[in-house]
Amino acid sequence: MFKKGLFIVTALIFLFSAVGVTFALEKGNDRKGKYTYRKVYKACNERGEVNSPKPPISPDAKTQAQWTRVFEKKDFADFGCKAEWDSLSEADLMDIYAYLHDHAADSPTPAKCK
Amino acid sequence: MPHRIISAAFAILFIISALTGCATQQPAAPVQVAADASAEPAFEPFHDIVDMAFVAGHVTIPMAENVMLIDARPYKPKYIQGHIPMAVSIPDSQFDKMTDKLPADKNSLLIFYCGGLKCKLSHKSAMKAEKLGYTNVKVFADGYPVWMADKAHYPAVSAEWVKSQIDKGADMVLVDSRPKKAKYDKGHIPSAISIPDTYFDDQKDQLPSDKNKLLVFYCGGLKCKLSHKSAAKAIDMGYTNVKVFADGYPAWVAYAGKASTATVAATAIKGGVEEGSIDHAEFRRIVTENPESIYLVDVRDADEFKKGSLKTAVNIPVDNLEEKIKTLPADRPIVFICGTGARSGESFYMVQDVRPELKNVFYLDGEMSFNKDGSFDLKKPI
Repeated sequence: MFKKGLFIVTALIFLFSAVGVTFALEKGNDRKGKYTYRKVYKACNERGEVNSPKPPISPDAKTQAQWTRVFEKKDFADFGCKAEWDSLSEADLMDIYAYLHDHAADSPTPAKCK
Repeated sequence: MPHRIISAAFAILFIISALTGCATQQPAAPVQVAADASAEPAFEPFHDIVDMAFVAGHVTIPMAENVMLIDARPYKPKYIQGHIPMAVSIPDSQFDKMTDKLPADKNSLLIFYCGGLKCKLSHKSAMKAEKLGYTNVKVFADGYPVWMADKAHYPAVSAEWVKSQIDKGADMVLVDSRPKKAKYDKGHIPSAISIPDTYFDDQKDQLPSDKNKLLVFYCGGLKCKLSHKSAAKAIDMGYTNVKVFADGYPAWVAYAGKASTATVAATAIKGGVEEGSIDHAEFRRIVTENPESIYLVDVRDADEFKKGSLKTAVNIPVDNLEEKIKTLPADRPIVFICGTGARSGESFYMVQDVRPELKNVFYLDGEMSFNKDGSFDLKKPI
């Protein structure tokens, strides 16, 4: 009976893992994402909402897991420039996600926005 | 006993789930966010603000000679992809260089607008116009967002935007509203269908059944009303994504004609794994055998470039590239290089976005270091 219980636990762990994989975000093109991310703030700066075209949050401001959480929740409030963020397509968002995630603080190549 | 085992199993599962959750729900790291995005930007508003009804009352086709509606937003990408019909583009950043576009009569009505209440560009431009001596200057402070919030309104687009949509095969129906025999049959924009405005009701079945599909109407230029009339009819039919290429066929001929002479056919350069990248072996071969056959652009900062680069490379730091993008040649392939592929990749996508007619553009994706003798080391990207 104890073995049966262990089997159930193992099966449930596999199930949870599979669901996790299914919900994982699909990353886009990080090179394109870098351009799109900077373009957002260039446009926002030209519109007059921010005083600098430099993105306010660098990729290395968060860990990869934190970036994943931000993009899973689509919670972009901290980024400001709502008009520009709202106009981004799903593909644009996944490109930006790829850039931020791949250069996060715990990535092999952490990056700051120069 | 079975109950105890199952209870134990769920307890273990709960602990594992909690630990897994901890791995992904880390506390937010300190975030460097600029000033509160919702706060009103501090700028001095212009003293004479008008509303949408005022603007609508002055938008005529053609525009009256003593009235000018001016879009103060950047030409690219804002103006070309959508502006209030009949508006002239004078970006605030270019105002001093473009004063010759303003009417000669200083008593003309000038109405400036930009991206809404948080946008200061129209206010700044209006103040500059008054300093030039214009006596009847207004600002439509609600700007483009409020104009477009009216469901009866549609944006006007520019030739660059129309061409980019055609080039990328956008799901768009381009409609020539001019008379068919006299105009369309003698020349029209590629892919356009003919629905003369006069016969709109008879021929509207050519329009797609999907009312959300992008429709772009054009006719003979800024003095032609046909495309605007057809656009209004399409909106009345329930189409939700209607635009007008108000500059029309004359502007298309002027723009696409220039573009076609400037575009060269893509040569057979072997691409790398990533979109837009050049194959490493191909890059080494070209640089060794025929470096002059490509326009090599090092997009690192000037201080990095000074420490060493390839002999034939020119230095255009990525931060300056957009302003110099028009200077890139169209007669040979362009290859962007940097230290890791990040800035060169960004440059590639900038060209795709800002100057899409350049088809022969690549970037080197990989870790590149330069030696003092002009040689270089190249590793695969991390």
